[in-house]
Amino acid sequence: MSKAFFIDTTVCTACRGCQVACKQWHDLPAEETENRGSNQNPEDLSFITYKLIRWNEKEIDGKLRWLFFPDQCRHCLEPPCRDTAGEPSAIYTDKATGAVIYTANTKGLNVNEIIESCPYNIPRASKDGILAKCDMCIDRVQNGLLPACVKTCPTGAMNFGSRQEMLDLAEKRLKEVQAKFPQATLLDPGMVRVIYLVAFDPMDYHDFAVASGYSRGITRQMALRKMASPITRMMRALG
Amino acid sequence: MNVSRREFIQITGATAAGLAVSGVGFDLSPVKSHAQMLKTVYAKETITICPYCAVGCGAIVHTDKSGAGRAINIEGDPDHVINRGALCSKGAALKQLVENKNRLLEPMYRAPNSKEWKPVSWDWALEEIAKRVKATRDATFEAKNAKGQTVNRTTAIASVGSAALDNEECWILQAMMRALGLVYIEHQARI
Repeated sequence: MSKAFFIDTTVCTACRGCQVACKQWHDLPAEETENRGSNQNPEDLSFITYKLIRWNEKEIDGKLRWLFFPDQCRHCLEPPCRDTAGEPSAIYTDKATGAVIYTANTKGLNVNEIIESCPYNIPRASKDGILAKCDMCIDRVQNGLLPACVKTCPTGAMNFGSRQEMLDLAEKRLKEVQAKFPQATLLDPGMVRVIYLVAFDPMDYHDFAVASGYSRGITRQMALRKMASPITRMMRALG
Repeated sequence: MNVSRREFIQITGATAAGLAVSGVGFDLSPVKSHAQMLKTVYAKETITICPYCAVGCGAIVHTDKSGAGRAINIEGDPDHVINRGALCSKGAALKQLVENKNRLLEPMYRAPNSKEWKPVSWDWALEEIAKRVKATRDATFEAKNAKGQTVNRTTAIASVGSAALDNEECWILQAMMRALGLVYIEHQARI
């Protein structure tokens, strides 16, 4: 059954349990880090960091608001990275769950173009040109477990289930939250499998919180490859 | 051609929908993914309590059944009444108490006024600790206070720790410290 996350940032305390549980399950090493004057740590996602709580302090309506944004791959319904790569052995969508999966075959592809194509600025390359990002803990999900980040979340900010359940939960929470924060909104619920609920302007949380937030345009070449991709795939399937 | 990312996603959607309508009669997806095996599938499960704070969350330790029996995963215990599977960032990092190349594997000693730590043997370290504890305790032990009440204490030694001990280990530690007459006994989990 098609899966989705619902991330309720209004109850996130930025404990970073999800960030560490992700590293723990994937056996990823720690980042070299330094004090940059923010509690956000590390500074950004990387080849070895798939999940990151972004911290922002904003003054909204005369009040200091501490905004937490547990950033991760949105597992788009129609992922631009997959279509830009055009190589199903490198980037594909898992049929059962909808998870967008990267493999070691991303090596040798034009990784910068793939990174550029992501509206949420998620994929990161290793030094030798392999791409990595959140894999929805596909091994756990296929075996009936929750993704590590959801399992560990102490506040209920991270939720996981069938896409319909998550959409229903998101709508229900949105109504509750809007009573206190009229600006509250769901981020791109029709396009992604990771649905965020934020209480204020998404741009206050993160430049790439919503797909429309950051538009650099795409190249003609990328658009053409995108349109042609079903044909390319068909040709490949025919051998 | 300048297309925003949102439009880009929409183009893809439209292409996919077009394909569905045109009814290509075979599966275009060459990727056949099989269910992956969990890394914990053959592991032994042992339950434990997170030592880091006073909440006392339950965790499951997965250890390798074959070979060295090392920990391969530690995560929250869904059956535990306190945390129901959840763990904060410290709890989620529990595995590093045992599986971490930065762990010290032997006692280290820094002599007074020295800038250097040097590895020493357990025998030497334990004997040295015992000698110094005995010397300090003997020199400062008070059997009775100023009012003549029996106190049997030393206020010259304090015990702080340890955040990596579990509940039972902490009990043994504090029992030994009280037997020595310590009154300053503290633990990170109380803070």
